[in-house]
Amino acid sequence: MATRDSRSRPGRKADQEFVSEAEEILERMREDYADLDDQRAAGGEVEPDLINRLFRSAHSLKALAGMFGLESIQDLSHHLEDILDGLRLGRVPMDSPCVGLIDEAIHTFANLLESVGNEEALAAFNEPVEELATRIAASAKEVANSGDELQSLEIDDALLRALTEYEEHRLRENIRRGRHIMLVGSTFEIMSFDEGLSELSDAIRSIGEVLSTLPAPGETPESQIRFSLLVASDLTLSELTESLDFPDADVQSVRVGASAVEVISAPVEVDPTPQAAAATEMESLRSISETVRVDIRKLDELMNLVGELVIQRASIGEIAARLVAQRQNTQIGIELSKIHKSLDRKLKGIQSAVLEVRMVPMRQVFDKVSRVVRSLRRDLQKDVRLEVSGADTELDKLIVEELVDPLMHIVRNSIDHGIETVEERLAAGKDIQGCVRINAFQRGNHVVISVADDGKGIDRTALFARAESLGLVSAAGELTDREILNLVFAPGLSTQSQVSETSGRGVGMDVVRENVMALGGAVEVESTPGRGTTISMTLPITLAIIQSLIVVVGKHRFAIPINAVHETLLIETSEIQRSEGREILNLRGEPLLLRSLAEEFELGVSRPAEKQFAVIVGLGEQRIGLLVDRLDGQQDTVIKPIQGPLKNVRGFAGATELGDQDAVLVVDISGLVDDALSRKDGA
Amino acid sequence: MTEVNAPTEEVRDWDALARAAADRGDSSDSVDEVRQLLSFELAGSPYAVPVERVREIVRMRPVTPVPRTPDEVRGVISLRGEMIELIDLRRRLSLGSIEPSRTTRIIVIKTKDDDVVGLLVDAVREVLRVTEDAVRPAAGSETGTVNDLCKYRDEFVSILELDKVLTLDA
Repeated sequence: MATRDSRSRPGRKADQEFVSEAEEILERMREDYADLDDQRAAGGEVEPDLINRLFRSAHSLKALAGMFGLESIQDLSHHLEDILDGLRLGRVPMDSPCVGLIDEAIHTFANLLESVGNEEALAAFNEPVEELATRIAASAKEVANSGDELQSLEIDDALLRALTEYEEHRLRENIRRGRHIMLVGSTFEIMSFDEGLSELSDAIRSIGEVLSTLPAPGETPESQIRFSLLVASDLTLSELTESLDFPDADVQSVRVGASAVEVISAPVEVDPTPQAAAATEMESLRSISETVRVDIRKLDELMNLVGELVIQRASIGEIAARLVAQRQNTQIGIELSKIHKSLDRKLKGIQSAVLEVRMVPMRQVFDKVSRVVRSLRRDLQKDVRLEVSGADTELDKLIVEELVDPLMHIVRNSIDHGIETVEERLAAGKDIQGCVRINAFQRGNHVVISVADDGKGIDRTALFARAESLGLVSAAGELTDREILNLVFAPGLSTQSQVSETSGRGVGMDVVRENVMALGGAVEVESTPGRGTTISMTLPITLAIIQSLIVVVGKHRFAIPINAVHETLLIETSEIQRSEGREILNLRGEPLLLRSLAEEFELGVSRPAEKQFAVIVGLGEQRIGLLVDRLDGQQDTVIKPIQGPLKNVRGFAGATELGDQDAVLVVDISGLVDDALSRKDGA
Repeated sequence: MTEVNAPTEEVRDWDALARAAADRGDSSDSVDEVRQLLSFELAGSPYAVPVERVREIVRMRPVTPVPRTPDEVRGVISLRGEMIELIDLRRRLSLGSIEPSRTTRIIVIKTKDDDVVGLLVDAVREVLRVTEDAVRPAAGSETGTVNDLCKYRDEFVSILELDKVLTLDA
């Protein structure tokens, strides 16, 4: 690829990216097409998923080609999409000759990919591509024109137009099978129409298929609503009217089926075969829509609603408790609290169901990373292999999205700065091939994602010198090893003296840390000179409902996410020791830095004289103890961002509603801990 | 001509105000560009903001103070689950602060970044329909929070530069 004529097109790197992605798509298409061909040859039914996958592949290819401005590939995939869409929706039969065109198109794509980046070679393909596209287009057109049997139906055009493509497909299919097509109309009371409608539909389903349910315009009183059901059945008009036994329903014929005679001879109950056949077919086609793409914002909305319900549930509990306490209402109170308990269980069910919907495995991100690594290997000419484990670990979709960039950056850094050149590795007596290991695993309510390389490790001296030259630190010797390592997260730092294109100018690790912290997580770095570096991100599994510990300082209440709380202790003021103004607690033999929330947030309240609570908090490995006046129990909380000009309010991750309209600030533990541990005394 | 007074009830669907204003206007004078402004009171004087920036108007509700923020930020309010900063417009414009009263309202404003923010005002008055020629420059504004005045009846209403007002030195 490096030998390619670089004059031909600008953006050789972009081309490479395109080719590597397109190759992957094409590989999938080849496999899927081979499967499709096998299933077709075997005479069996073709798995609808296969066609769907092919369709999606063609679509991705089109989008990709569009992004890189490769018109010929874009055009061809567009035409291919037409055929596949026809197949998918049953407009094109599986035995149509145009199925063979898919294979041709895949071959042509492969040829085109070979020539990407070379204008002349690409131009040579113009003619064959055009010719193939024309054939595909012609074939797709033929398919579109073939189905005019719908025009012969005695049915309102407006109604036909209202059918979805799938419904239309079912209609054609039933016509082809010679079933009777009928329109069943009925009027329902608006208040209860859903019940009546589903009763009617169920009744029809036992003797036929409901192709479509459409609200029908017409003269109805205001409190009523009229529906038309397009029905296919083996029963004739009069038979269906009779067996339906729905006095309010009127049935009219749309098309008389061809096979009416043979079917009439068989009583409906004794002949389940056609229905069963129809059912399996429905099944296989329905599997197309078994997964639904959902806008994440819709899930957020759902989550918010659930969150509000959770809050309201708490006030019902309170009311129940109050009633129980009043003698004359005790009985009602007990009943209410029973309802409250069952509501509680169901809500928990909804909560976990909604949470589950948001969870996606890390695999998709890891796949992306491995693609980037492949191209990096080429660009940086480093011999690196990527090992991935824990790809099935699940994480909130929103977090996964936000994670792509930081993770990518860390991996780039590892390959660019961490892994040595082949010569260096040989000299150090290491395996020639470097290794970057990505691992994801769940730890309690968190997911830890670590990127470990077996490279040269971080050079502390160089790092420190660089930080000093930037004025970030002064006077050597004062920093611990951890503090020096943490300098990699300082803005504007890069130890590589040569700035490389891949990892940029050291902008990055600070941004990585910022992004991860914004998600309520933490980043940690470990490094052994000569052995390698490991960077670990600890992230909450979900951003949605979480349990919080409510703490009270003076008149203020704050929420601390429970997943950041390790333990709570009631301590005597006399137990607190001091060192250079810092307060320290002897926690089972280890010194623990204490911070008073009142002083931290400048609340201007004095601390209790004798006893106070220490909440031991921290993410990852770092811990501190937060001093508060008292604890006020745990609550389900939905953390919302605070809207307004201040944007990210320092020290707070957001706010949550507790009780009636009461906003309670949620403490940003990750920020607070970092602040406390990095602070020099007094500053 | 109907007079729209400071609403005594919570005006959530505050479209009613805008509709009332539209009804008052003469439908034939569509030649001039007409601006709709929501007017309200601060320390006895009328102020206004463009209605298209107003999302809703709500009554005073519990406010949770936020530590380490400028004085004009009264805190955070919860509005149907949304967490919104509440800015005391009196403090923001250095008009001195007062305790909330029966007429105190929170005007929920849409910000440039698709956020919302609450502005605390003494009372909400009405929606004004003014033509461009009723707008005069306000001389001598040092802070840049009011650049235009608009003559309405026999009063001058100060039009707030919202983006300026919503820029706080944190």
